[in-house]
Amino acid sequence: MTEAMLSHVMDALDVETFLVCSSENEGKDRAIGLMRSLGFQDVDIVYIHYAGPGARVRVRAYIYRPGDNYAWVTAQESRQ
Amino acid sequence: MVTCLERRKILLVPLDPVHDIGLKMIRRGLDKAGHKTLLLPPDLPSEEIISMMSKEQPDQVLISRTLGYGVAELLARFADLADAAGLRDKMGLVIGGMAIRPELAAELGFDAGFGPGTSVEEVVAYVEGRPYQRDANKVKKTKADLTANYTYQYRHNAIGELLDRIADGILGWVQGKTSPAIQRSRLRDNLWDIEQWRLGNINKDFTEAYSALCDPIAEAYYRSGEVHPKTRQLRAEEIERLEAYLTDTKSRMEPAKVQHWEEGQPKVFIQYGTGCPFMDIAHIKLSEAWGADGVVHFDPSWGARTEGFIGDFLTHQEDGSVITPENLSWTKAGLEEYTLWQVRAHRGLNTPETVVLAGKLGADLTKINIAYGSLAAGTDPARLTVDGVESIKMAAKYNLPFDVVTNEELAGVPAHKAFAGMLIVAALGRKLGGRPILQPLFCYSPEVMISGQMEQNYIDFNAAKIKALRKIMDAPIWPGAPIGFLTQTEDRVQSSMTTSLHAALAASLRVDAISIASSDEAYSGGPIVAASRLDTLTAVKEGFRFFGEGRVEATSMADRWADEMVQNIEKVLKDVADAPSFVDALYNGILGSKEEGAYPGRGGRDTIQVE
Repeated sequence: MTEAMLSHVMDALDVETFLVCSSENEGKDRAIGLMRSLGFQDVDIVYIHYAGPGARVRVRAYIYRPGDNYAWVTAQESRQ
Repeated sequence: MVTCLERRKILLVPLDPVHDIGLKMIRRGLDKAGHKTLLLPPDLPSEEIISMMSKEQPDQVLISRTLGYGVAELLARFADLADAAGLRDKMGLVIGGMAIRPELAAELGFDAGFGPGTSVEEVVAYVEGRPYQRDANKVKKTKADLTANYTYQYRHNAIGELLDRIADGILGWVQGKTSPAIQRSRLRDNLWDIEQWRLGNINKDFTEAYSALCDPIAEAYYRSGEVHPKTRQLRAEEIERLEAYLTDTKSRMEPAKVQHWEEGQPKVFIQYGTGCPFMDIAHIKLSEAWGADGVVHFDPSWGARTEGFIGDFLTHQEDGSVITPENLSWTKAGLEEYTLWQVRAHRGLNTPETVVLAGKLGADLTKINIAYGSLAAGTDPARLTVDGVESIKMAAKYNLPFDVVTNEELAGVPAHKAFAGMLIVAALGRKLGGRPILQPLFCYSPEVMISGQMEQNYIDFNAAKIKALRKIMDAPIWPGAPIGFLTQTEDRVQSSMTTSLHAALAASLRVDAISIASSDEAYSGGPIVAASRLDTLTAVKEGFRFFGEGRVEATSMADRWADEMVQNIEKVLKDVADAPSFVDALYNGILGSKEEGAYPGRGGRDTIQVE
């Protein structure tokens, strides 16, 4: 079901949030861990800024890298 | 400066097709510190760099990489080549740049890795083998006095005379009148000892007399401990967790600044009021960490329509955080010492007592406006006039400057009428020894939507407001609240951008402070989230950085509209002065009519008593 839901994402899914943590490294680990726990494998931190209370992060899960087989194209083909 | 013996030879290598700006900045820092540097051009093959390293035999090689594609493979190969050439143990190998993370450096066997955000000073310290003194570049922050350097002298004599006449009329009108709010505020002022309260000692005389002046909801709290039906008490373990969270977070706080040019850019306030004091404190901490200079407490609208305050540490899932001594006290405990704290008193049935509570609990600022509270916030004009004067007296007693907000503009009242009301309250403040701060709105108001003053740009009409006020009085100005109101959409980029541009305009006009929204300003489906608060703080910081001492320039329309505004304010003030009383003027629409969207409030009607 998740795959079907993600098939219309053009390339990636970004999660923008604020993580409560006590260092930038902890923030990174938690951000990546969050995405992995959601089932994403190709994940990266686009942006992180840590200060006192925690980290403002933008963490990304690539659904398709350039050159992949894009489901939103095949889905369109199958509809035609 | 390092000595000859400590001088290092540094080879700087952009292992990148084009990017070498970062290395150039570092070279400048290293040269300034007395080291010998050699910067290679970008896009050299790794083999040629290795050959240069063999020839020059530097103490350190600083390699930079900006592009992220294939960075690990590229650097791993470079490290292998350095090993094969027998250079690995002869010199330090360090990587840095946008594509670098310290963990990547460790993984590939480099001596150190510097990622985005590294300062030149940090690299110089590393090269010199000394710990980086972060404190040396630490932002130093002190609590600002927004009213310093203002004389409150009138610059427009005719308007000044009218304002004095109206203010005298108001002071005469309130003579001998009192209200339940005034009586509660005097009880709070005289009988409520904050130190005893902190020790948990209940003053029964206060409680008895106070509860008799409350409406049934507040009275129930004092009689039986029942809290407002919309709220719940935070449990002991939640309070313990908050204490632990605060201690932990405060230990990691470092002052941060939004301003790039301290002298000319306004102090930046955020508004909190998630409904939960715990969440408020968490939002305050991150706003402070991102550079907010001040925070404004937003209370729920029902709080302003209830006679009397209840107590306890209360949370609820509605807009605005309940004012109780406990909630305010915890909020105060959460603030850094340099953060300005405003508790709004302006609009409801507890206005004077809010000022007293704010003063006793250590607030720095409050907010009072009789005209706005009467015409657009539901409180009876007569009641709020009596309460407002008492509030200003209390603000003066507790040394609390107060802003005079003009939110009736959002209901449709033209700016000049809202400003006339604001100036009357400021004149009262001036007479009663208070320190008012003028708060015009930077907003896309109904007036300009209809009349078209913002069809060309958002600059001129907002600039006209500031210019007009400056022609009338030498007083601090704090546009709000928030700036850019009604220009924001739900899109976080648009929302942050418009806030940033309005902030830049405010800085150009050299105002004293601004209140900013989060990028959730236009979203009405739920509470503001932490990340959205940081969006606008970051955007405002970038706006300040971009403009620096430069300015957003208004067109000649701003001056024309400012002159018109001053003339219109004078006309309105003449009408107010000629009315039987200021209260009559409020009831009769002189400061905003029903057609314009101003409705005299009913809260507290017929509650004024003879003193």
